[in-house]
Amino acid sequence: MYKLAPITTALVLALAAPTVVLADPGNGKGGDDRQERGNRGGDDDRGGGQGRGAGRDDDRRADRAGGRTETRIVEAVRGRSSERGDDARRSGDRRPDAPRDVRRALERQVLQTRDGRPVVYFNRDDDRGLIAGCPPGLAKKDNGCLPPGQARRIAAAAAGADRYESLWRRTGDESRYRYEDGYLYRMNPQGSLLGYLPVLGGALSPGAAWPSQYAYQPAPDYYSSYFGLPQNQDYRYADGALYGVDPKTQMISQVAALLTGQNLSVGQPLPEGYDIYNVPTAYRERYADSADALYRYNDGYVYQADPRTQLVTAVIQLLT
Amino acid sequence: MMMRSTMRRALAPLALMLLAACGDGVGKAGEAAAPSNRTIAATLKDDRSFAMLERVLDNAALGDVLAGKGPYTVFAPSDAAFAAAAGDLGDEAMKAQGAAMLRAHIVPGALTRADIVAAIERNGSGAAEMRTMANSLLTFTKEGDAVIVSGDNGARARLTAAETVASNGVVQPVDALLVRTTAAPAAD
Repeated sequence: MYKLAPITTALVLALAAPTVVLADPGNGKGGDDRQERGNRGGDDDRGGGQGRGAGRDDDRRADRAGGRTETRIVEAVRGRSSERGDDARRSGDRRPDAPRDVRRALERQVLQTRDGRPVVYFNRDDDRGLIAGCPPGLAKKDNGCLPPGQARRIAAAAAGADRYESLWRRTGDESRYRYEDGYLYRMNPQGSLLGYLPVLGGALSPGAAWPSQYAYQPAPDYYSSYFGLPQNQDYRYADGALYGVDPKTQMISQVAALLTGQNLSVGQPLPEGYDIYNVPTAYRERYADSADALYRYNDGYVYQADPRTQLVTAVIQLLT
Repeated sequence: MMMRSTMRRALAPLALMLLAACGDGVGKAGEAAAPSNRTIAATLKDDRSFAMLERVLDNAALGDVLAGKGPYTVFAPSDAAFAAAAGDLGDEAMKAQGAAMLRAHIVPGALTRADIVAAIERNGSGAAEMRTMANSLLTFTKEGDAVIVSGDNGARARLTAAETVASNGVVQPVDALLVRTTAAPAAD
């Protein structure tokens, strides 16, 4: 008769909150599938075939089979991947004439579930993916590749700052920024151009072609599964946003999600800026803060941390 | 007897949810008012006090994001807040600036006011921080009963009106922008 309790509870919760996703009771807090701590050894994403290959597609199909709801607690820990090269080859957008200096390796964390499935999340570039050199379509002149009118604007900047320059500048950053025609230009305090990057709402907008020189990280299937995104698109992460891209035309189809790109690794302290309980409503029953564990949501995962040490002790997938 | 006990345990979560729904939205941390079945995007669209925010969202093509799964918490400036500091962000030519501004007003997860207050009170410093989608920090403090939120560059706002717990996050109205803009350059 006691077996009726969890079944009835699940039914009641489902009826009371139609948008709630129920996690597998066996894997959550208080369940018997606690995360094993320690480093199993990182897998290199490239070597492990964890790109958007058939293996990962199989994973996604398996996750979705029968509409099964599942929560997986992920155990440690990380490997690093030179991601840009893999994806560029796969997407067919590597151009032989592209400057080598902009093909910077981007790193991402690769975690594994107990059954060996990859769990990947992104790192945010400190420089936001700044591209050295001249923007596409900009005639090379003797002014250091400055865009039309830019030299004049830089000179004018001495008299008064761009009203919205603070939107682009980070704390402690002494660079100057100018936004022009879809691209953000970064200059040193003396006004010399350091690089440029396409930005959300500018060159990275639906309907625009993905800038060929702009590095990105391909999104693992977990993200399209978690966010419920159409499967006929590629998904690319760059500078805190996830973009849908038509694989045939390379056109941006949508801004699919905003992500912090924060690195929350098992064994590391919770980074600055996660003081407040923010677990999705659907998971609050299961992952409530207690004297034994803190839970914080970030970029599609719930992170469990030790309240005393603030160290992350588990990464929890939230799949539906 | 055993059946009654079983049923009581089974119904306990429902009772908790009903209690939360009847409250004023400021309860214990971890509790949340019953979510609406509307998304953040729909919530903002239906509220006339966020017309400017809605325009900036459309311009930046972020409507799909706030209509999607999320969850996010949006610190939603009123039209008056935009008018006071950045009235031109709704212009077609200001899409990128608008997108950057919005990212500084969005944090990951569902952040209820009760969660914010509990974190402020729990931290010995009397402040709590959250990371935004612009990779900046928001700092929350209390002034009397009011909750104050401050941006990295000194912008300061007050949480106003009631929060809305949407199906994919929370809308927290604020009375000012969370990024301070500088004065427009003087004309030559």
